[in-house]
Amino acid sequence: MEISRRKVVQSAIATGTLAAAGAPAIGRAQSAPPANRTIRAVMQGDLRSFDPIWTTANVTAYHGAMIYDMLFSIDAEFKPQPQMVDTWTVSDDKLTYTFVLRDGLAWHDGTKVTANDCVASIKRWSARDGGGQALMARTKSITAKDDKTFVIALNSPFGLVIDVLAKPSTPVCFMMPLKDAETDPNQQITGRTGSGPFIFNVAETKPGNRYVYDRNPHYVPRKEPASGMAGGKVVKVDRVIYENLADDQTALAALQTGEIDFFEVIPIDFLPQVKDDPDITVEILNKTGNVGFLGMNNLHSPFDKLQARQAMLYLVNQTDFLKASFGDSKYYRTCNSYFGCGTDMENDANTGWFKAAPDKAMAKKLFMESGYDGRPVVILQPSNFAFMNNAATILGQELTDIGVKVDLATSDWGGVITRRAVQAPVDKGGWDIFTTFSSGYTVANPVGYIGDATNGKNAWFGWPTDALNEKLRDEWATAPTLADRKTVARKIQENAWNVVPHAFLGQWVAPVAHRSNVKGWLAVPEVIPFWNVSKT
Amino acid sequence: MIGFIVRRLLATVPVMVVIGLFVFLLLHLAPGDPAAIIAGDNATPDSILAIRHQLGLDQSILVQFLRWSGRVLQGDLGISIFSQTPVITLIGQRIGPTVSLTLTTAVFSVSIAICIGVLAGWQAGGVLDRIVMAFAALGFSVPVFVVGYGLIYLFAIYLRWLPVQGYVSLERGLWPWFQHLILPSLALGLAYVALIARITRTAMLDVLSEDYIRTATAKGVAATPMLLHHALRNAAVPIVTVIGLGVALLIGGVVITETVFNIPGIGRLVVDAINQRDYPIVQGIILVFSGVYVLINLAVDISYLVLDPRIRS
Repeated sequence: MEISRRKVVQSAIATGTLAAAGAPAIGRAQSAPPANRTIRAVMQGDLRSFDPIWTTANVTAYHGAMIYDMLFSIDAEFKPQPQMVDTWTVSDDKLTYTFVLRDGLAWHDGTKVTANDCVASIKRWSARDGGGQALMARTKSITAKDDKTFVIALNSPFGLVIDVLAKPSTPVCFMMPLKDAETDPNQQITGRTGSGPFIFNVAETKPGNRYVYDRNPHYVPRKEPASGMAGGKVVKVDRVIYENLADDQTALAALQTGEIDFFEVIPIDFLPQVKDDPDITVEILNKTGNVGFLGMNNLHSPFDKLQARQAMLYLVNQTDFLKASFGDSKYYRTCNSYFGCGTDMENDANTGWFKAAPDKAMAKKLFMESGYDGRPVVILQPSNFAFMNNAATILGQELTDIGVKVDLATSDWGGVITRRAVQAPVDKGGWDIFTTFSSGYTVANPVGYIGDATNGKNAWFGWPTDALNEKLRDEWATAPTLADRKTVARKIQENAWNVVPHAFLGQWVAPVAHRSNVKGWLAVPEVIPFWNVSKT
Repeated sequence: MIGFIVRRLLATVPVMVVIGLFVFLLLHLAPGDPAAIIAGDNATPDSILAIRHQLGLDQSILVQFLRWSGRVLQGDLGISIFSQTPVITLIGQRIGPTVSLTLTTAVFSVSIAICIGVLAGWQAGGVLDRIVMAFAALGFSVPVFVVGYGLIYLFAIYLRWLPVQGYVSLERGLWPWFQHLILPSLALGLAYVALIARITRTAMLDVLSEDYIRTATAKGVAATPMLLHHALRNAAVPIVTVIGLGVALLIGGVVITETVFNIPGIGRLVVDAINQRDYPIVQGIILVFSGVYVLINLAVDISYLVLDPRIRS
């Protein structure tokens, strides 16, 4: 029998096809949960790092919330509630906090969660977190008393112990196994083992493409109903997949056809395309939203002068910035509170003098009085972030309108944050203005929010200096009650709008879109929980 | 011929050295600090410095270059700064989708383009020729992402025939694999079809005006054998050259196509790595792609020897 080349090729294709189509498909059918037990979600960005302490990237905190658990978590009213902790006490002198872990806590490898794990986790987290550092500055020791009990002993009272342990803003105080928790905080952990309601499925995960989380069958949820990040973390699906879908238009199309179930950051201008689609629901999960931030370089001219910084409060027309990026006024609001609007700390202290903004004549007068020498003001402009890109353009125009020369330093975000770290003057690679945003929840916490520090070159970018603000932040941290904190917050704001360490560009909320048959989303700032979510 | 191939392969060594040096300097001299990106927006300056030190990015560029090139010479492209995964492993994970997309696009494009190019050349000035030329102009003019969105709207959202996005590996079945590649290949291949069709038409026009074609026609050779055996083979050298050069076009197009159709290939990997300043990944991929490009050019040169005996002599 003659065997032709064509026959060989045909046979090879047929064999390969059958082999390819056969065996693995059976394996997949056996292992992959059904579609109604799987949620496919497009989150705000790619999950590039798995260590929520090493990086402050929000998407890594999302990953953390899936696989790790917390000692305390905030509920829907932003009040801290025990999560891994069963009971806790504080001594009469407010210096000794004793925590007892609840029963049933276990790492994904089956070993028990111990107090030693928690002590090491708190120490590692506190090295990277502003609130954690404030806690550690007042801490004498953190020690494990037995397998389930540990003690935080303070040198002086700190009213925010529970609050900082419970906060959902990055870096979040997640509990990790001792081996990971003892890793240098500046080095990324290699473990993916937590004690949370989901288990990270390494085998199914394709970095840069999809990240797979399976329900932790051994997780013991609290008995209370889910509320915010608190309460029982009851997982109602078998698998959650973070799909890394970089193109928004494609993500929308995938949502419309049901290829994905959840689209976290749907652009506002896409909303008209889905508003009449009964299969898609749009809702707001982060009620306090985000606050636009205008950072000024307090180290160098012109913003080392108070008048130049005050001029910015007269100059900025928040509505222009918000409208340019978010269009529909349903999703944004102007806000002059130093602590964001709709937050516990919102107040109107010392806002009267710039309520008339925009007042370009006053802005020009103040700017010129600051001794402005005509040098172009360098605004960092990240072209790949819509809000910041638009904000830089508008700000440049507004400054030009009052006679200030502007140099828009355009690059991608990677270039911006590199230059932003340069403390030298502009002629040596520095900058004058940058824009960014932070969550309303975070901005409301003057200790936890790194942007509120005013300790000069050790402060956040812009490096403002103001001793009174530092003293008031400390006072806020030690205030025993919420009412006391609100009183101190008024004083902080009164002082802040006198020294103007930075300015704000307005506040907005970002809706999420999901398939209508996926229900039970929990409204939390900074994190998207997938427990309590079911699919029909 | 073996001597020719060996000489060409040796000539690629200095090319690769220059590319490596250029890529390294370009990345490290461009603004952007992976430590600042890793640390995130809420990081303190101290945190960024600590991470930079941990990653060895606070060392001089010369030291970093020597370390990197030393590893490359041993076949080690380094480890991703972010995922801590070896670059070779990442490329291995991503090469499948890119090769699949490139191959399906190339097969689709070359087969369509040569057919319509030959027909257009044969019927030069006729209706078919005008249609082909109009299609070619369209293929060059419309950006790949516009074509992609249009295809998604028509075939995925409106008709619901094909998936919007994603990639399924071949081991999960031939049809699921192919089904996910149809739209991306069409989108990516449009410009490639246009390019090859135009070159084929032009080459065919040149050959069809030669005396030996006229002789063959006068001797009664039928149209099909005349076009395929006499004309196309003699027009093949410029066509093969363009197909080879077109691979660069495909690689460039793959970056956008993979983003639009959410295909986890090399293009997506390199774009993400550039945004994150993940130097080892960018350097590794550019080196590998450069090597592939050099080898494709070598293959094209060798094909000249096969196709045209005059070059061989």
